[in-house]
Amino acid sequence: MPGPLEYGIWLICTLLEGAVVVCAVRSHSFRRYIFLNVYMGLSFLASVGRYQALSHYGIASSQYAYFYYYSDALLTIGLYFALLNLYSLVFDEMKVERYLRFGAVLLLAGTAWFSYAVVQQSSHRLFSHFAYELSQNLYFVGLVLTYALWGAIVKMRETRARLIQLVLALGVYFSAFAANYALQNLSSKATILHFVTPILGCILPAAWAYCFLRVNEETRLAPARLVAVPR
Amino acid sequence: MSRKLTVILLAMLVLVGAMSLKTVAVTHGDGSVIMANGGAPQPPVPWKNGGAPQPPVPWKNGGAPQPPVPWK
Repeated sequence: MPGPLEYGIWLICTLLEGAVVVCAVRSHSFRRYIFLNVYMGLSFLASVGRYQALSHYGIASSQYAYFYYYSDALLTIGLYFALLNLYSLVFDEMKVERYLRFGAVLLLAGTAWFSYAVVQQSSHRLFSHFAYELSQNLYFVGLVLTYALWGAIVKMRETRARLIQLVLALGVYFSAFAANYALQNLSSKATILHFVTPILGCILPAAWAYCFLRVNEETRLAPARLVAVPR
Repeated sequence: MSRKLTVILLAMLVLVGAMSLKTVAVTHGDGSVIMANGGAPQPPVPWKNGGAPQPPVPWKNGGAPQPPVPWK
């Protein structure tokens, strides 16, 4: 069973997830960033549900395990759509929404097909394997898409501060998990790393809540090349 | 038409890139990305959402040590 420190981190993470939605509603940005907020709302509900399952059945129970992995698959799909929300905002002036939707559906279908192809040999619990594999594969797709979006932001010299911070937070979140994963593989016995993974889960809600709370929608960043122009 | 083809090409490129990245990560990892083990220390989970502790995988039967997954 997790200790008090793990419970504390989990509680902070859950509160931050709820705070994102509250801050977005307060700054009148809920509809503009609808999928980001739906994802955070789902994360909040999943955390509450996971706590219920954990406290009722225990960490070793199949009930908690099923709830954990199925909710994880659902959340990863939610994260994928949140990322697409950011894509549509970055490219909104280019009027390519139709193509973005087409590409997103195609990529999701391709990932689902790949996941099914990987697990179809399983003789039993095919759906559980599929949900697990899809969740994992979508994470890597999200990682690649986030870096591609950051490349597009840099190339297009995007100046909307809130949008840039939301994308950067997502990039930091994915990168931190990747770095943590690498570190754990290097030194799996380091106990400190045991607490790092849940702490990393707080990065995204904390950054997004701060962004909705403090960064105005109208705030613009001055591109360096404009600032450097001699008068 | 050519725009649609470009979208299909980009989607396939992203998919191939992501799956290659995953393969590299899993190959160089200790296998814990794919499967968690019951009483073992918590495995690294780069795709975990939220801060909830990770349970053992539901489809593990019995207490025998887990072999490497055949579909890796």
